[in-house]
Amino acid sequence: MTSIDIIPDEPKPLVRFARMLWADKFALAAVLFLTLVLVLAVIGPTWLGEVAQKQNLRGRNAPPFEWERGWLWILGADALGRPLLARIVVATQNTMMVAGGAVFFSALIGTVLGLVAGYAGPRTGQAIMRLADVIMSFPSLLLAVVVLYILGPSILNLVIVLAITRIPVYLRTARAEVLEVRERMFVQAARVMGASPRRIVFRHILPVVLPTLMTIATLDFAFVMLAESSLSFLGIGIQPPEITWGLMISQGRQYLTTAWWLSFWPGLAIILTTLSLNLLSGWMRIALDPTQRWRLEMRGRRNG
Amino acid sequence: MIRRSLIWGTLAAATMLTPAFAQDSTVRIVLNEEVDLLEPCMSTRSNIGRVTLQNINETLAFLDLRQGGGLQPKLAESWEQLEDGSWRFHLRQGVTFSDGTGFDARDVKHSFDRAMDPSITCEVPRYFGGMTIEAEVVDDHTIDFKADPQQPILPLLLTLISIVPEETPVEFVREPIGTGPYTLTEWTPGQRIVLSQRDDYWGETPAVTGATYLFRADPAVRAAMVATGEADISPSIAALDATNPATDFSYLDSETVYGRLDHSVAPFDDLRVRKALNLAIDREAFIGTLVPEGALLASAVYPPPTLGWNEAVEVWPYDPEEAARLLEEARADGVAVDTPITLIGRTANFPNNVEILEAVQQMLQEAGFTVQLQFYEVAEFEDLYSKPYPEGRGPMVVVAMHDNSRGDPSFSMYFKYASDGRQSGISDPKVDDLINRAQAATGDEREALWKELHAYLHDDVVADLLLFHMVGFSRVNERLDWTPTMATNSQLPLADIAFK
Amino acid sequence: MMSFIRKRAFASLISLILLVVAVFFLSRLTGDPAALYLPSEASEEMRRQFREIHGLNDPILVQFGRYVWDLLHLDFGDSVRRARPAFEVVSEAFLWTLQLAVITMTLVTAAAIVVGSLAAFRVGGFFDRIASLTSLIGASAPDFWVAIVAIVVFSVGLGWLPTSGTGSVWHWILPIGVLFIRPFGLIVQVVRGSMINALSSAYVKTARAKGVRTRPIIFVHALRNAMLPVITVIGDQAAALLNGAVVIETIFGFPGVGKLMIDSILQRDFNVVLAAIMITAIAIFIMNLLIDLAYALLDPRIRY
Repeated sequence: MTSIDIIPDEPKPLVRFARMLWADKFALAAVLFLTLVLVLAVIGPTWLGEVAQKQNLRGRNAPPFEWERGWLWILGADALGRPLLARIVVATQNTMMVAGGAVFFSALIGTVLGLVAGYAGPRTGQAIMRLADVIMSFPSLLLAVVVLYILGPSILNLVIVLAITRIPVYLRTARAEVLEVRERMFVQAARVMGASPRRIVFRHILPVVLPTLMTIATLDFAFVMLAESSLSFLGIGIQPPEITWGLMISQGRQYLTTAWWLSFWPGLAIILTTLSLNLLSGWMRIALDPTQRWRLEMRGRRNG
Repeated sequence: MIRRSLIWGTLAAATMLTPAFAQDSTVRIVLNEEVDLLEPCMSTRSNIGRVTLQNINETLAFLDLRQGGGLQPKLAESWEQLEDGSWRFHLRQGVTFSDGTGFDARDVKHSFDRAMDPSITCEVPRYFGGMTIEAEVVDDHTIDFKADPQQPILPLLLTLISIVPEETPVEFVREPIGTGPYTLTEWTPGQRIVLSQRDDYWGETPAVTGATYLFRADPAVRAAMVATGEADISPSIAALDATNPATDFSYLDSETVYGRLDHSVAPFDDLRVRKALNLAIDREAFIGTLVPEGALLASAVYPPPTLGWNEAVEVWPYDPEEAARLLEEARADGVAVDTPITLIGRTANFPNNVEILEAVQQMLQEAGFTVQLQFYEVAEFEDLYSKPYPEGRGPMVVVAMHDNSRGDPSFSMYFKYASDGRQSGISDPKVDDLINRAQAATGDEREALWKELHAYLHDDVVADLLLFHMVGFSRVNERLDWTPTMATNSQLPLADIAFK
Repeated sequence: MMSFIRKRAFASLISLILLVVAVFFLSRLTGDPAALYLPSEASEEMRRQFREIHGLNDPILVQFGRYVWDLLHLDFGDSVRRARPAFEVVSEAFLWTLQLAVITMTLVTAAAIVVGSLAAFRVGGFFDRIASLTSLIGASAPDFWVAIVAIVVFSVGLGWLPTSGTGSVWHWILPIGVLFIRPFGLIVQVVRGSMINALSSAYVKTARAKGVRTRPIIFVHALRNAMLPVITVIGDQAAALLNGAVVIETIFGFPGVGKLMIDSILQRDFNVVLAAIMITAIAIFIMNLLIDLAYALLDPRIRY
C-alpha cells in the first residue's frame, strides 16, 4: 500500500502538506479556526475568566452588535448581563476537554475493541459484540443518574458517561470494515507472508477503516456537546459558574423566541468547530492517501 | 388503535387545520405535565387536581380564591362546631353520583376513610399529620368529624377530600366517579383526557359542555397552541412568552422561593451571619429581570392572602456594608464565617432557577461569603431538603419552592419551622409553642398568633433566606371569559369558564 | 444460516439477562422511590407504608428474585406512578416510537444514499460542497432550535401544520422533519466518504476500463462495496431513535418511549424503566442481527 516515492525533486513533507493545504481553501480556513479554538482553550479562562462571570442585571439579554458597549459585548449579553463573547471564549476550555475527551476515548476504545472483534476468533468477537448490544440499549440518562449518585458530578465523570454511550458506533463500524478488509487480497497476502495478526490489524486494516471513523468522530463532537447540554439539566457534570458551550445553549433555550442570541452563538461555535473538524478530516483523508493525493497536488499546481 | 387514529387523522386533517370553533361550547386545555393517574384521593397533586377537582369529584366545601369569599359550601350546605370540639356537617340532598347512585353521609365517611387508608398510598394523610380524625355518620345527611387534638380548621382540611361513592374499592381507580358536573369519557394515556357534561348534575349547569386536556412539556409550544387555536387555555406559560395583553394574564401562584438554613451548623448558628446573609441579597434587582414583574418579595414561606399575614413585617433591605460589618463582627468573635457555604438548587425547579442562584451566589460573595453552587436532581435534592439531614454536612443554603394556596399557615409552619418538622432548620421552643397554640386557636386569636409567629421568625430568629412569592402566567383564547387565580395551580373548575 | 440465527438468539438472550440484572441493581442505587412519589412533607410512617406496599422494604435480592419470578410468568410488574401494568404503558409508547423510527430512517436512508453518492461522484464540486455544508450544519445544530423554529414558522406563522400532538398525518410532518436532519447529515457524510474510497478502488477502475457506462459503475459496483460502514451507521442512528427521541417527544407532545423512559428514571418507576429497556433492547438486538445478515448479503466473502 505504501509505495516508495521515486520522484527526484520531492519537497520536504511539511512543505508538501502546506502546499496541499493551500490548495484546499476550505481546509485552510478549518485549520485556522481550529488553531484559534485551541489557543482560546488554553488562554481563555485566564484571559477573560473574570469578565465572563461579572453579572450585571441591568444589561441582561443585551442584544448583539451594539458597538458602544465595547467589543466584549459584540455578541450580546446573557440573562445575567454577562458578555456572551467572553463566555464563549472562556467556555472553550471545558468544552474541548469534555467533548474532546469523550470523543477521543469512545473512538479509541470502540475502535480497538472493534478491530479485535473483527479479527479475533468468533467467540471473542461474539462476546464483544453482544456487550456492545448491551451498551447500545442501556439508556445514557440512567447511566448518568447512576454515575451522579455513586461518583458525584465532575467533568471526568461526565466524560466517562458520554464516552461509554458512544463506544458502540465505533466498535460496530470498525468491526464491519475489518470483516470486509480482512478478506482483501493485500491482507491475505500479508498473512501468507507471515505477518503477525497485530501487524496486519494496525498496519494494514486500520488505515482503511480510519477515514470512516474520523467522519463519525467529527460529527460526534457536536452530538456529545449537545448531549452534555441536556445532561446539565440533571445537575451532572458542568455546574455553574463553570461553563461549556452546551450549558450555554441549554440556558439560552427558554429565550429562543425572545433573545435568540443566547443560544445561537454557542450553537454556532459548535457548528463551526464540527464543520472545521469535518473539513479537516476530509482533507486529511485525501492528503494521506497516496492514491488520492493527486487531487490536491494538481489543484495546488494550478493555483500556484 | 394507532392505525385507526391515523386513518381518522387523514380524514379529519382538513378540518383539524382550520379551527372554526367559534360556536363551540367545549374547551381545550393544554397542561404542562402529563396526567398519569386520575385517582380522586390524589387530587392534591396539581396535575391531577386540575382535571378532577370540582369537575369530576367535588368536596364538602371549597376555598373561594376567585372572589375572596373564604370557605364556601359545596356538598355540605352548612357546618358547625359542636360542644366537644368536633364538627358536624349538614349535607346537600338530592345529589347523585355520575353512576346514578345517591350521595349520602356514608359516601363521605368512605371517601375520608379510603383516603386515609394505609393500604393505598394517597397523598392526603400528610395534611393530617399529628392528629387522629374519626368520621361518624349521624344520619343520611349529617356527619360528624371528631378530631384529636381539636382542629379549628377542620372544614378547611376537608376541602382536600374528594368525595367518591361508597362502593369505590380501596385501590387506585382509573375511572373516577364523582358528583361533579362532568364525567370522564375518554382517556388516551399520554395524549388526551376528555370530560363531558352530565345532564343530571345537582347544581347550575356550567356554560362549558366538555373539555379536552392535552399535555405539552414545552412552555413555548403551550403558548403557541393557544395562539394557533389548537388550545383555548394554557394555565402555565413562560413569562417570556406572555407578550400579548389580550390573551396573557399573570397571577400570584402561591409558590414561595426560599433558602432553608440549618441553624445547627456553623456559621449559621450565629444570628449575625444569618442577618448578613439576608442583607447581602438585592431582592429588588431580581424583579422584572430574572423574576417576572408582579412577583413579590417574601417575608414568609406562604403568600400574602394567607390568614395571619403580618403587614408590619418588612422585607430585609439590601445593605452590603451592614452585611460586611456584621460578618466582620462575627469573625472577630471567632465565628467560622469563612467556611465555604454550599448553595443548593434543584434542577428545573422553577423558571430561571440557575440564573437566580448564580446571581444569589455572586451577591453573597460580594458581601464576603465563600459560596459554591451545586444543583441536584430531585431525588438527591430531597435527601438534603428533608430530615434526616446527612451527617457531616457543611453549611448549606437549600433553595426550595414551597406551595401553600390553602389560606392557612398551618400547612407550612409545622413542616418548615417546628423542631421536629421534616424540613425545619431550627429548633426554637417559642416557635414550637406558637405553632401549637395557633393551630388550636380560632378566629382572631388564631390570626394574632400567626402574625406574632410571622414576625418572630422573620425579625428575631431570622430563620431562613426568604426570597420571592412567584407569579405564573396563563394564556387564554379571547373567546373565553376566564382569568387565572392563585388556585389555578391546583385546580381549574370548568364551571368558572364563560364564553364572551 | 438458521444455526447462525439460533446461536445469535442464544447469545442475545445472555445480553438481555445481563442488561436486566445491571439495570435492576444499578437503578436501585439511585435513591428511594418513596422520596419522589410522596411529597416532601410526608411522614416517615407514610414512607414506610409506601415501601411496604411496593415491596421495597425487602432485601434487594428478594426483590430481584420476585421480579425474575414474575417475569418468567410474563408479568413486568405495575408502574408505581401510573398504577397500571408497566408492560401496557411501555408497549403503547413503543408502538409510536417504532413507527416514527421506521418512517424516519427509511426516508433518511433513501435521501442520504442518493445525496452522498452524487456528492462523491465529483469530489470538491459544487454539489459536493453544498450538500456537505448543509448536511453538516444540520447535523450539528441543536435539535430544539430546529423544532421551535419549525413550529414558529410552519404552525404559528404560516398556519400550515399543527404545532404538536397526534391525530392526523399532518401531525407527523414536523417531528419527522426535525428528526430527519441529524441522521441524514451523518449518513450523507459516511456515504460520501465510503463512496470516494470505493470509486478509486481497483475493481471499479477495472470496470471503468472495460467501458461500463458511468451510472451503473456507481450504483452497482461502488455502492455495494461502500454499504458496509453505511448500514452500520444507519443501525446506530436507528438504535438511537428506538431508544426514543426525547427532545422531539417533549416539544411535539409525541407519546413515545423516550420521554416515558426519562420520566420513569427520574421518578424511580423501576418497573417501567425495566420494561422499556427490555422492549427497546430486543428491538435493537433484532436490528443488529438484520444488519449482520445484510453484511453477508452485500459481501459474500464475509463469514462469521
